Amino acid sequence: MADAAKKPAEYGAESIKVLKGLEAVRKRPGMYIGDTDDGSGLHHMVYEVVDNGIDEALAGHATAVTVKIHADSSVSVRDNGRGIPVDMHPEEGVSAAEVIMTQLHAGGKFNNTDEGGNAYKVSGGLHGVGVSVVNALSDWLELRVWRNDKEYYARFENGETVEHVREVGPAPGQKGTEVRFMASSKTNRADGTFSNLDYSFKTLETRLRELAFLNSGVRIIIEDERPAEPVRTELFYEGGVKEFVKYLDRSKTPVMPEPIYMVGEKNGIGVEIAMWWNDSYHETVLPFTNNIPQRDGGTHLAGFRGALTRTINAYAQSSGIAKKEKVDFTGDDAREGLTCVLSVKVPDPKFSSQTKDKLVSSEVRPAVENLVNEKLAEWFEENPGPSKVIVGKIIEAALAREAARKARELTRRKTALDVASLPGKLADCQERDPAKSELFLVEGDSAGGSAKQGRSRSNQAVLPLRGKILNVERARFDRMLSSQEIGTLITALGTGIGRDEFDIGKLRYHKVVIMTDADVDGAHIRTLLLTFFFRQMPELIEGGYLYIAQPPLYKVARGKSEVYLKDQAALEDYLIEMGIEGAVLRLADGQEIAGADLARVIEGARSFRRVLEAFPTHYPRGILEQAALAGAFDPGRADDDLQLVADTVAKRLDMIALEYERGWTGRITQDHGIRLSRILRGVEELRTLDGAVLRSGEARRLSQISGQTREVYQRPARLVRKDREQMIHGPIDLLKAILSEGEKGLSLQRYKGLGEMNPEQLWETTLDPEARTLLQVKVDDLAEADDIFTKLMGDVVEPRREFIQQNALSVENLDF
Amino acid sequence: MTCPICGKPGDPAYRPFCSRRCADVDLGRWLTEGYRVPVRPEEEDEAERPDLPDDPPQGRPH
Repeated sequence: MADAAKKPAEYGAESIKVLKGLEAVRKRPGMYIGDTDDGSGLHHMVYEVVDNGIDEALAGHATAVTVKIHADSSVSVRDNGRGIPVDMHPEEGVSAAEVIMTQLHAGGKFNNTDEGGNAYKVSGGLHGVGVSVVNALSDWLELRVWRNDKEYYARFENGETVEHVREVGPAPGQKGTEVRFMASSKTNRADGTFSNLDYSFKTLETRLRELAFLNSGVRIIIEDERPAEPVRTELFYEGGVKEFVKYLDRSKTPVMPEPIYMVGEKNGIGVEIAMWWNDSYHETVLPFTNNIPQRDGGTHLAGFRGALTRTINAYAQSSGIAKKEKVDFTGDDAREGLTCVLSVKVPDPKFSSQTKDKLVSSEVRPAVENLVNEKLAEWFEENPGPSKVIVGKIIEAALAREAARKARELTRRKTALDVASLPGKLADCQERDPAKSELFLVEGDSAGGSAKQGRSRSNQAVLPLRGKILNVERARFDRMLSSQEIGTLITALGTGIGRDEFDIGKLRYHKVVIMTDADVDGAHIRTLLLTFFFRQMPELIEGGYLYIAQPPLYKVARGKSEVYLKDQAALEDYLIEMGIEGAVLRLADGQEIAGADLARVIEGARSFRRVLEAFPTHYPRGILEQAALAGAFDPGRADDDLQLVADTVAKRLDMIALEYERGWTGRITQDHGIRLSRILRGVEELRTLDGAVLRSGEARRLSQISGQTREVYQRPARLVRKDREQMIHGPIDLLKAILSEGEKGLSLQRYKGLGEMNPEQLWETTLDPEARTLLQVKVDDLAEADDIFTKLMGDVVEPRREFIQQNALSVENLDF
Repeated sequence: MTCPICGKPGDPAYRPFCSRRCADVDLGRWLTEGYRVPVRPEEEDEAERPDLPDDPPQGRPH
């Protein structure tokens, strides 16, 4: 803004220069005021007059401009500036005010820096055509001036003076200018200029608000007297352009608390910029020169953009962010979500056209560029928090742009039928019908080799994936799928990638099977793959095309026979089956249980163990087991006679204890639980089952389960197999004994990786459709599944552990 | 369903994302190796620890 403190040159009649020819304006109004039919020219009439008031304000002489649309559709604009000079113009022989009103290119603004007059330092009016053009295009125009403590009046019709400037009376202390005009319109007479006089309050308000923002501290009042209920709005913004950007983004979410504000002057060019970013993807940069907007930008915008890109690039480099993210960003990326008001005040600006849509003054570019380079770099250094957010946002923009480009590239590089372009690592199958084809994604090269040899070449394809390891810091390693592997995978599937390109109809295999090791690395790679498919190819999961292979976890050899077991549960099943062979459970009363009966008892023991595992871990398992067998958890027992319960449990503990370790006693505790104690080698051993656990749901379930086989364990039994005999005091003892019997004579091998299997074994266990088990991936709860991935990616150790225990996506068992 | 990138509600047309833009950002991360799983020594130890003789959760793929 112009410096109000500097006293401008005298603003008298001699500072007005004359350029003649107002007739031309009426002949070709469009050239001077814009379109006379669509309303833009009509509104421009108002702006021209307002500009004079704003210029007075810029020069520090006025503080307020009032615009009023009268009921008769005339418009008045009043400022509280110095008042247009009313003394005689030395060359024209009439008052300066009349010269300004009746002669084209007459105005204070033409005496600019070159000629030293400098009535206004900078101004936004249209080459000074302003108010005389308005007069020329008005049926009538009334001028009121308050100056020298007097009020003056003049009237014009069709641009001609009908009443010369005259003093109408004293006006002590008043100053300013008011112009009221009735635009020439076809609604009033056939040869009128404008097709109508429909001023839009909203249009005027928008532009006047812009002016109020750009000229901080100037109060602009707009009144509309046409409606029955007159409208009045006051526009006053002390925050200037900073408030402007906030206003522009009033319905958006900014990514930083306050806009960046830069102001400065270089070589007589004033630059004021406010900018910030919001979370949208749209760029709003409004450049103004001397308050006039440039729809097509120009040298100020070019300077700003250049400096912005340069500064952010430099910051991204110096802060190390650029190095971390493997993406280069462009100026477009930097401006995504940017809202900026760029206001320059330039003496004698040059535009590419009369409409001033583009600034061409070359001296503006370096002025803006230097200021932004300097101030923005400073801001980034001083505000590391918001800077990081901004650069993060810019990098996202670059990622999205690059991803869309790469997606096109990856998709169009080849067609599904173009076998020659399939990735070299892929061992494709002979089958061409996708419905009959399977693709195994195999972790690791050695396993990939085995799979390639062991598969059925006719319809099974193999793509080995390694999963890249990156040493991030000294003691930290990260695992990822390399971009090359992702690319290979996409090409092998044939579907393409990206929202526009992906086509599930082009999928080359209707079974895509993830085959990874049963260890943490395998789990990580599987999770990465599942997340990739879920996010980028959800149709693959929804279509039921995605599976997880189940390679065996164990190989059990007994003599010459070999058995593969897929997991812990299968191993236990197998060991129990072996252990039951030839085993007899001999009860205290001489009854013998064997074969199918024994299997049922053992099944009961497993159920018992499952319920026992559900108790919180601080309760002693052995005591819980014996208490259940003693009937302590039977419904109602604890509330019936608690001491009896305590005694019964103590008695049962004594029964199973070694002779010299007996002496259990039971007491009731304050919370209606029981405490069991004995003295063992001089030390008291205490075991407590509190009131809560005695009456818990788990206790009730344990009672139910134990009830079914309680007579078996009523007194100590013996498990007899071959020449061995083991004491059995409860279901847990029985289970342990049977499992250890089952292991006898077996060689047990735990597969740690797929690579430990030879091709034949891999075929027999995992690839052969007759023998294998596949899990079909179903995404029941997409958000939850993804949440697991997000946790896994995070740096918090606990949730990741939890993940590893619970495992990845929900998968449904599907046997083939 | 919330968008994995920005946390806004997802749009079925861009599932699980809220917009094409967020879907593209995600794809960009995959293609620039932005998704990494940290590997820690204690996890490797955990993997070596034999499982307890217990019924593992159903549907566990290993």
